[in-house]
Amino acid sequence: MSGEYEPESIFEIPVGPQHPALKEPILLHFKIEGDIIVDVIPRPAYTHRGIEKATEARNYIQNIYLCERVCGICSFIHTLVYTQGVERLAEVEPPPRAKYIRVIVSELERIHSHALWLGVAAHELGFDTLFYYIWRDRELVMDLLELITGNRVNYAMSTVGGVRRDITDEVAHQIKKGMKIFRERLDVYTEVVEQEPTLRKRVVDVGKLSPHDAVALCAVGPTLRATGVKRDVRADDPYQAYDEIPFNVATYHTGDVLAQIVVRVLEMYEAANIIDYALDHMPGGPIRVKVPWNIAPNEVISRGEAPRGELFYYFKSNGTEKPERVKIRTPTLANIPAVRQMLLGYHIAEIPIVFASIDPCLSCTARFSFIDVKTGKSWVWDREQLRRYSLKWYGKQ
Amino acid sequence: MAGKTSLEEAVEKLKAGIGAENVLEVKYQPPRNVFVLVKTEKLKDAVSYIMKNLNYQYVITITGVDLIKQNQMEVIYHLTDYSNTISLRVRIPRDNPKVPTITDIIPGATLYEREVHDMFGIVFEGHPNLVKLLLPDGWPEDLHPLRKDVTVQQIRERLEEERKKGVRGI
Amino acid sequence: MALGLVKWARIKSPWILHFNTGACNACDIEVLAALTPRFDVERFGILLKGSPRHADVMVVTGSVTRQIRDRLVRVYEQMPEPKFVLAVGNCAATGGVFQQCYNVYEGIDKVIPVDVYVPGCPPRPEAIIYGVVKLLEKLAKS
Repeated sequence: MSGEYEPESIFEIPVGPQHPALKEPILLHFKIEGDIIVDVIPRPAYTHRGIEKATEARNYIQNIYLCERVCGICSFIHTLVYTQGVERLAEVEPPPRAKYIRVIVSELERIHSHALWLGVAAHELGFDTLFYYIWRDRELVMDLLELITGNRVNYAMSTVGGVRRDITDEVAHQIKKGMKIFRERLDVYTEVVEQEPTLRKRVVDVGKLSPHDAVALCAVGPTLRATGVKRDVRADDPYQAYDEIPFNVATYHTGDVLAQIVVRVLEMYEAANIIDYALDHMPGGPIRVKVPWNIAPNEVISRGEAPRGELFYYFKSNGTEKPERVKIRTPTLANIPAVRQMLLGYHIAEIPIVFASIDPCLSCTARFSFIDVKTGKSWVWDREQLRRYSLKWYGKQ
Repeated sequence: MAGKTSLEEAVEKLKAGIGAENVLEVKYQPPRNVFVLVKTEKLKDAVSYIMKNLNYQYVITITGVDLIKQNQMEVIYHLTDYSNTISLRVRIPRDNPKVPTITDIIPGATLYEREVHDMFGIVFEGHPNLVKLLLPDGWPEDLHPLRKDVTVQQIRERLEEERKKGVRGI
Repeated sequence: MALGLVKWARIKSPWILHFNTGACNACDIEVLAALTPRFDVERFGILLKGSPRHADVMVVTGSVTRQIRDRLVRVYEQMPEPKFVLAVGNCAATGGVFQQCYNVYEGIDKVIPVDVYVPGCPPRPEAIIYGVVKLLEKLAKS
């Protein structure tokens, strides 16, 4: 990051209320010239809770519930990658049926997360009708997740050695029915994205990122795939049952915000297909094996494709029931350098949608401070004011 | 598995590239991962060899580990070609933890180096802007929460003390 | 008389402010879900506002990280009297799963007074609506 970061200048900024649709407690310090962004300094400190230290004081089972709450939106993939890592530490293989159930739940979670994001993006563009439609349809997926796991958000589904609940035939039937309805709704959204001129005007050629920059800045997930780079942990370093399930890695070549929307819509289709295939080919047998309480000294890494990109865990065990070290790398941190690059050279009015386009998952205290480099005058806006400004600015065009 | 052989090849090439005597330890982990310990002074050579000659594209993250029993710290660079992962590590003395930065080779590593600096106090020499990333504004400079010699209780007591002294933002 | 009118108006349409103090987003998406068509909290006249100076009720999620503590207090002070706080989720009540983490305060009530707690990790949107209704009862008595 270039430029000096001075905590004092941020202290003057009142951290204020946020619109709940915008949920990232990150401070982005913008330097602007006229209406053009010339620099961005991020400060993502507001949700640091000290989870990595806390994992060292809890045993492997307690840590499942802690890691699930690193992020509430991608909670299943966190438990999946965590339990996968602990299984590798203990050199235990989960039963095949558990692997399929994990794939199904993680793909359902991907759909719910992408639908959530699409709604938020529509809201950022001032397209609230689409926002409410998508959130209504998202409830369908939430119902399915509740049917399988018993909870809407934090599922407590994956555990060390397998999963905690089975998918019965009746539930499988319900999921298939739900996916059929959801696909029909997706067709509607695809049509909107392809044909709605007000939406396209806001997203085409905005927030462009070149494939070269995306790779150099270590971008991950849909942000990387929207630049045409075909990289996905599910395909490149397959985990669980992904090596047995055929699927396409969705990419789009333009690298702008439109590409991010298209990639995520395509991924929702793919996820629905993966779920159908996994339900049809799910092997029988047990869903859980026993894993010893104490784990011998070892170290492993565990990777998985979260809705936002690659999720990474590093584990070191020391022979006791508690880990020696757990390192968590979430996809949003990896995408922050890329979003900085995407914002440079664009207008203030484009900040909300460009920043939202990486699907930041931090929480809810973002504040934007503006410094006019010519006059040195600074002022502060919250996201809601910024959104209104952007709508007004585009109204004038 | 085909991936493993290409990983073994990569390690062979790395050994040839930076000199086999500089590679101290190699440990394979299923399914597609290897931990490679190199000498600290050869770290930058190893990273640039892996990125340029082996065509690995990105650094997943940088992990710090406090090896308090050996009085050492470990820095692990997880480099990947998206399929295979080489976890390159160096060990440095605990009382003077310093490693060269790799941000000039991989710009995407900036935030990870700042994070490790926050948590362990490891200094990345040559980093363009090594300031706080995740810790609160009022956090004392000499307190590094993930070091093994401080407990959660001690950190909390220290922060309460600082707060009583009038420090804000913690 | 005028005060009675203001109180009546407040009960019929409390304006809320949502503030995240370092939550995992689970409570936040459920608060948001409560606003969307399936649950539709607006039928109780509850309206989400973007500024603390417009709000009667602050809906707080999360376990209060150290970085955000002073900001939370400041936002609370900016709200006009009488003000009410609804703590959503276990973290907001006690720190929840983040108890014994070095960077959290373990509960909103360590920092600002709380009127109603909604337990759950995360609470369902129905539970959040129920909590708001409980708060309305408290408002009526105030």
